Amino acid sequence: MTAISVFLASKGIYLLTFILLSLGVAGMIVCNNYLKKLICMNIMQVAVIFFFLCLGQKSGGTIPVALDGALKASEYINPLPHGLMLTAIVVSLGTTGVGLSLLLRIREKYGSVEEDDIIRRERKV
Amino acid sequence: MRKALTVILLVIVLTVPFVFFDILPVIGDPDSAPNSHVSDYYIEHAVEECNSPNMVTAVIVDYRAFDTMFETTVMFLAGIAVMLILAEHPKRKLMVPTRVRRLNVHEGSPVYRTVNKDVMVSVIQVLILIYAMYVLFHGEVSLGGGFQAGALIGMTYLLDVMVCRREQPLFRTTKYKAGAIAGLGPLLYAVTGMIPFIGGGLYLQYGKMPFAIHEAELHSIGITSVEIGVTIGVAATIITIINALTERIVFDDEI
Amino acid sequence: MANIPVLIVILPLAAALLCLVLTAIHERLGLWAVGLASLASFVLSVMQLITVAREGTIHYCIGGYAVPYGIEFVIDSVNACVLVMISLIGFLTVIFAKNFGERIGRMQRGAGYAVLSLLITGLLGMTSTGDVFNLYVFLEITSLSAYCLIALGGSKGVVSAFRYMLVGTIAATFYLLGIGVLYAATGTLNMGDMSDILDKGGYDHVMLVSMCLLIVGFGIKMALFPFHGWQPSAYTHAEPGTRPLITGVMGKIPALAMFRFIFCVFGTDLIYVRFLLVMLGVFSVCGMLYGSIMAMGQSDLRKVLAYSSVAQIAYISLGFAIGTPTALAGSFIHMLAHAFMKGGLFFCTGAISYKFGTYSLDDLGRIYKKMPLTCGLLVVAALSMIGIPPTAGFFSKWYLALGAAGAHYWVYLAVLVISSLLNAVYFFKLIEKVFIQPSKDLDERWSAGEFELPVSIVLPVVVCFAAILAIGIFNVRIFDFLMMTLEGVGL
Repeated sequence: MTAISVFLASKGIYLLTFILLSLGVAGMIVCNNYLKKLICMNIMQVAVIFFFLCLGQKSGGTIPVALDGALKASEYINPLPHGLMLTAIVVSLGTTGVGLSLLLRIREKYGSVEEDDIIRRERKV
Repeated sequence: MRKALTVILLVIVLTVPFVFFDILPVIGDPDSAPNSHVSDYYIEHAVEECNSPNMVTAVIVDYRAFDTMFETTVMFLAGIAVMLILAEHPKRKLMVPTRVRRLNVHEGSPVYRTVNKDVMVSVIQVLILIYAMYVLFHGEVSLGGGFQAGALIGMTYLLDVMVCRREQPLFRTTKYKAGAIAGLGPLLYAVTGMIPFIGGGLYLQYGKMPFAIHEAELHSIGITSVEIGVTIGVAATIITIINALTERIVFDDEI
Repeated sequence: MANIPVLIVILPLAAALLCLVLTAIHERLGLWAVGLASLASFVLSVMQLITVAREGTIHYCIGGYAVPYGIEFVIDSVNACVLVMISLIGFLTVIFAKNFGERIGRMQRGAGYAVLSLLITGLLGMTSTGDVFNLYVFLEITSLSAYCLIALGGSKGVVSAFRYMLVGTIAATFYLLGIGVLYAATGTLNMGDMSDILDKGGYDHVMLVSMCLLIVGFGIKMALFPFHGWQPSAYTHAEPGTRPLITGVMGKIPALAMFRFIFCVFGTDLIYVRFLLVMLGVFSVCGMLYGSIMAMGQSDLRKVLAYSSVAQIAYISLGFAIGTPTALAGSFIHMLAHAFMKGGLFFCTGAISYKFGTYSLDDLGRIYKKMPLTCGLLVVAALSMIGIPPTAGFFSKWYLALGAAGAHYWVYLAVLVISSLLNAVYFFKLIEKVFIQPSKDLDERWSAGEFELPVSIVLPVVVCFAAILAIGIFNVRIFDFLMMTLEGVGL
């Protein structure tokens, strides 16, 4: 029992992150609706962002803004993953925006965002 | 069935290695690899090298400024991509949803009628813009920076579009103009990076800019100029996307 | 002069950012800016190639920070060649694209050039960077601009762009996860530094997990066999003016990045490396056969070439799977050659559709009488694809075969030969259509003028023609130049 508790306390968050990631990927494969696929894509990206933020955590550290008299590295959390993930968030925002506008065009052209309908219409054209 | 099998396989592939292989560090361990190798250098040197108490700002616009330049470019790219994808076809006339707009003009419930929204909005917008400026110029000292400021300015425009009638806007622009301005923001960033060439420095080496002041001040100038570029880029991109979307709106039953 | 590596990337970026403003001032100004910037970047990359040949690998630290702390550009002999290839095809595509999309509005065309220029920027950046996270940012710039350019190709293009976007985002996420695992183990993002830390030993599981993620990620991006589902429809329905760049170059750069990770970051003394390379080899063998067989059954010229790309990308990854320096050099010569061959073939299809508005194989009867120059390149590129001696395609396959024989991979050698024969089947079908089949009446959209086509279409066709022959003739010099880097990293 203690082994599991220790494992969950030290690495449990990774497990949760990967469950979230698997949910996203599974949703992208299983869902038939393109909008749902787009939402699952976002879930997947957020899971990876969580994963990076987990790496930036440091016990006993505060936010990385320099305080007077405290310059030791162990007193601040790791700023690098936060900086990297700012980029990843912006990228995911851009991808989602482009995806939504593509979806709007698909909806106008085919009148539906269900994959089956679109494949049927494509064959007809 | 095929889909289900794929999913099960994926879940196993994704989860198993992380449970059985001991490859990830313990949460919060100060001695783990990501918390010790490069990150220590950033924490210990950010203040003296970049003159920026906020270490995240130091990392994103000084140590790894090249990433952030392309991140802003990604914003610009997303803006013009939305603009291009949703561009109106010259032959097709967009149906303006007049019926719906007429419904929107009504004054609302009696409670809201007492507040004049045209007056309130012009007060709120100015306050938001002041806050955006604060966030922009304090990015290197406390939490904040170019992206947040740009988003705030973009939100001001969104408020304008949502509340004000088309006849009496506070400020309005077209998507093409906004797109052109969105390009100028990252360009300011890129040009700031090129200024050190004159002083014999490398790309984005703020300390080598050809101005006769202390190196720490040069870093501050570089960071501020870059943040202004990011703000312009992000704000104009948001305005481009809003314009592209609102010009496109065609309701389902009107196609 | 010291800033050449970064200027190559920054100039197309600046042109793209300025493009909309310039287009608002005058209609042609944006196009001129993008064209001049890509030309300048081509000239600079040639100068850089000469410097690398003289002085060896260039390291450029952006911001002047020491290596693991800042972002670094690393230009070795492989990168330098690929950069020249990208910027040349990019420049040709920009002048080629000006003939298409005349129906859309002025500002939209300006925005289109901006996106094209950003695609070139992303590809150049992905090639030159030496930082794993910077590579991710460039990968996303490349993908976003590619989604946009594919979506501009019409209503079918929108659907294929959306599908590509879903798959491409999975790829980018897997890549990000892979480098996350590496970062968790090493604490650094610089490739050289990461390689040093991983060499100390004890990271076998880390490398296995992250390598699987990276192979899936890059495999999707380069359309390697089991992950190629998005590719044929995306290549077919992309915007016609920019199709040569998308089809010719976009699939190759993730392959180069995959090479960087397998051979430069992980190194070949990893115990699982054999397993990974065999996995890559199986993918490649299946892809070579599958792509060639599918290409035979298509009647749309664009689809034939798109499926043939699935097979040709597999040649490149086959070279990685063999892993000896000779085979790796074969891969890279094939990368250069195939970019010009496939780019050239799509310049030809673009020219044919510009003149006659058709992509169907059946409409090509005796088209050589109407368009002799275009058909000349079509034949040379087709012969090069099959692997007839004086052309580039023969020598790349020759080095691949030498590598396979040298490492005693007889299965790979057999598949290489079989796949070349299959290539011959569908490319001779194409040549038969062009020269022998009775001609059809097609209405010309473009007539008169000195040449059979506008100069801006003739120039790319001629340059690709010259490049295919030049790579073939100077193959020994290119091989020696590539070996400067590859000697040290192969198996």
